[in-house]
Amino acid sequence: MYSDNGFFDNFGGKYVAEVLRRPLDELETAFHHYMQDPQFLAELAEIQRDYIGRETPLLYAPRATELLGGAKIYIKLEGLANTGAHKINNAIGQVLLAKHMGKKRIIAETGAGQHGVATAAACAKLGMDCTVYMGEVDVRRQQPNVASMELYGAKVVAVTSGARTLKDAVNEAMRDWAAHPDTTHYVLGSALGPAPFPDIVHHFQSVIGNEVKRQCAERGIDIGAMVACVGGGSNSIGFFSPFIDEDSPRLIGAEAGGVGPNIGENASRMTGNASREGIVQGYKSRFLLDDDGQSLPTRSISAGLDYMGIGPQLAALGMKGRIEFTSILDKEALAALNFFAKNEGVLFALESAHAGAAAMKIAKEIPKDKAIIINMSGRGDKDVFISSPVFRPNEWKNFLESELERLNENKDIHNAKIMGESK
Amino acid sequence: MSKIKLMSHLVAGYPTEELSFAAASAMVRGGASILEIQLAFSDPSADGPAIQGACTEVLSHNYKVKDGLAFIERVHKAFPEVSIYLMSYGSLIYTPGVENFCKRASEAGVTGMIIPDLPFDHDEGLTAACKKYGMDNIPVASPSMSEERLSKLAHAGFKYIYAALRVGITGTQTVIDQATLDFLSKVGAGGSKVYGGFGISNGEQSKAIASSVEAVIAGSVFVRLIKENAGDKEALSKAVEAKARELCGL
Repeated sequence: MYSDNGFFDNFGGKYVAEVLRRPLDELETAFHHYMQDPQFLAELAEIQRDYIGRETPLLYAPRATELLGGAKIYIKLEGLANTGAHKINNAIGQVLLAKHMGKKRIIAETGAGQHGVATAAACAKLGMDCTVYMGEVDVRRQQPNVASMELYGAKVVAVTSGARTLKDAVNEAMRDWAAHPDTTHYVLGSALGPAPFPDIVHHFQSVIGNEVKRQCAERGIDIGAMVACVGGGSNSIGFFSPFIDEDSPRLIGAEAGGVGPNIGENASRMTGNASREGIVQGYKSRFLLDDDGQSLPTRSISAGLDYMGIGPQLAALGMKGRIEFTSILDKEALAALNFFAKNEGVLFALESAHAGAAAMKIAKEIPKDKAIIINMSGRGDKDVFISSPVFRPNEWKNFLESELERLNENKDIHNAKIMGESK
Repeated sequence: MSKIKLMSHLVAGYPTEELSFAAASAMVRGGASILEIQLAFSDPSADGPAIQGACTEVLSHNYKVKDGLAFIERVHKAFPEVSIYLMSYGSLIYTPGVENFCKRASEAGVTGMIIPDLPFDHDEGLTAACKKYGMDNIPVASPSMSEERLSKLAHAGFKYIYAALRVGITGTQTVIDQATLDFLSKVGAGGSKVYGGFGISNGEQSKAIASSVEAVIAGSVFVRLIKENAGDKEALSKAVEAKARELCGL
C-alpha cells in the first residue's frame, strides 16, 4: 500500500538538492516512529473525533439514484469535516507530528487556500507558529480563505516569483524549509513532492477510505465503483486507500478538463496528450511539461485541481490500470454542482463536483444493486465568489458594488441603501 | 598572493542574448577560469529570488534549451581556454533523455554538469552519460548533510564536488568561519577537488576560502550586477569585469 523506499513502480523518489535531504530523512524516521507510538495515535484519534468531527457521514442519495437510473448513489460527506474539506486530516496529522518532533514553526503552501486554512487552523489548535505561502494570483482570487487564515493567526506570504500560483508557493516553501530545517516543519498538502510526503499524506488521508469500508460493511453496501477528484491527489488516494491492493471495486479519478483539450486549457495529467513523465518539485510522475521540460500553464474553474503534477502513487496506479482516469470539463462540474444541490441538498466544492460529474456519467454502467460512492472532499461554501458570478451574475455584481459603496462611506449595514436601489 | 581561481555564474540569455554574452566576456577578461552557465528552468527551487527572477524573465522571451546551448557554443568558441559548466535542473535533463541531453551539451562545449536535484546516488544515469561524452557530473554538497551521507559523497569517486557553503538557497551573505573550513575539508576527504560558493560577493570572502578550494564560486552577486546594469552594455561589462577581478584577488 505504501512506497518501496520512496518509489511506486517507476514514480516517486527524493529528487531534491542535498540541502533538503536531511530534513526529509529525519521526517521519514520520525513518521515511522510515531505511527507506532500508542500515545501519539491516541492523541490523534481524539482530535479526529472531537475537533475534525469524524466520522463523516456516508449519505444515500435517493433522488440522484432515481434520476441517473443506474447504481445506488452514495456521497461520502468529507466536506463536513471542520474547516470544510478533507485537508484538515493531513494538516492535523502533520502538525501533531511536527510538535512531537520538537519543531516550533510550521510552513505550508496553498493554492485555493483550503490546505492553508486547514494548516492555519491545526496550528491554532495545537499552538504552533504558522506561515502560509500563497501565489500572489491566488491571494487575489481567494481572499475569503486569506481572511480565514489570518483569523487563525497565520501569516500569509504572497509569492510574487514565477507564475505566482501554487507551484511557485511550493518552491517558496521548500526554500524556507531549506534555510530553517531545524526549527521548522513543512506541511505539504497533497500526496506528492519528495518522499516521504506521498506516504505521509496518504496515511493521514486513509482515514476517509477506512471509514467508507467500515460504513459499507456495517450497512451491507456492495460497492461497484468509487469516484474522487484528482488534483495532486490527497483526497483520492486516502479515499481509495483500503481498496488499491484489491481487484474491486472500480476506482475512478476525475481530473480537471478545464475548457478544452489543448495545452493551457486544462490540468489533465493522466488523460489527453499534453502530459509526459518528468521530474519536477522533488518527485518523478506525470506532469504537464513542454518538450524542454518546462512546466506548462494549467486551467480549471476549480483552483484545487489547477496544478501541473499528480501524486506519484496515483500515476503508478493509473499506468497499471488499477485507477481509471477521466477528464471533466468546467461546465460539467458546474452542472453536477447544480444537480446535487437541487436534488440532494448537498453543496459540493467545485473540486469535488468533478467527482460528482464523473459519477453521473458512469451511473448506468454499474448494476442497480451495487453502489457508486462519490467523495465530496469539500463543501462548496468557499466557492461563492466563483460560483455566484456564473449562476447569478447581475445580483452578485449589484451586491459587490453596494457593499463597496457602503464600506467606502463607512456606513453600518442597517443604514446602507437598499441593494440595486439606484438601478 | 597568487591569483584566485574563479568560477563565475550567469544565466544564459539574461537579460538578453547580447548582454549575457557581454557579461560572459567581461568575466573572462576579469580573470574567471570557469563559467557556470545556468539554463533557465520554470521552477528553480534551489535558487533564490535574484536568480529565479532572471530565469523567469529569460523564459518569458520564449528562450528554449536549444538557444541556451547555442549561447554556450558561442561562448566556448570565443573563449576556448575557459571551462564551461552547465547548471540546471533535472527536468530539463530528464525530459529529452539524459544521454541525449549530455550529448548535445558536450557538443556545445560543456565539460561539467551541475544538476542539484538529481542526487549523486540516484542520478538517472547522469554520471555515466557525462563520462561517455567526456564531461564530469559535479554534485552539490550542503553543510546540512548528515556525516554519513557527506562521507558517502566524498568517497564516491567524483573528480569535482560543488560545496554550497551555507544552508539555504543562493543569494544571501555567507560568513566564512571555522565550521565552513571544516565542512570544506570533509567534502574533499575522498580526494575530490572542491569548488566552494554560495553567498560569496566580495574579495575578502574569496580570499578567506581560496586556499581551501580548487576554485571560488560566485553567482548571485553577478546576477545582481547584471540586473542593475541591464540598460547599459558598457557599464555592465565594466562592473562585471571589476567584480571578477576583485574576486580573483587581482
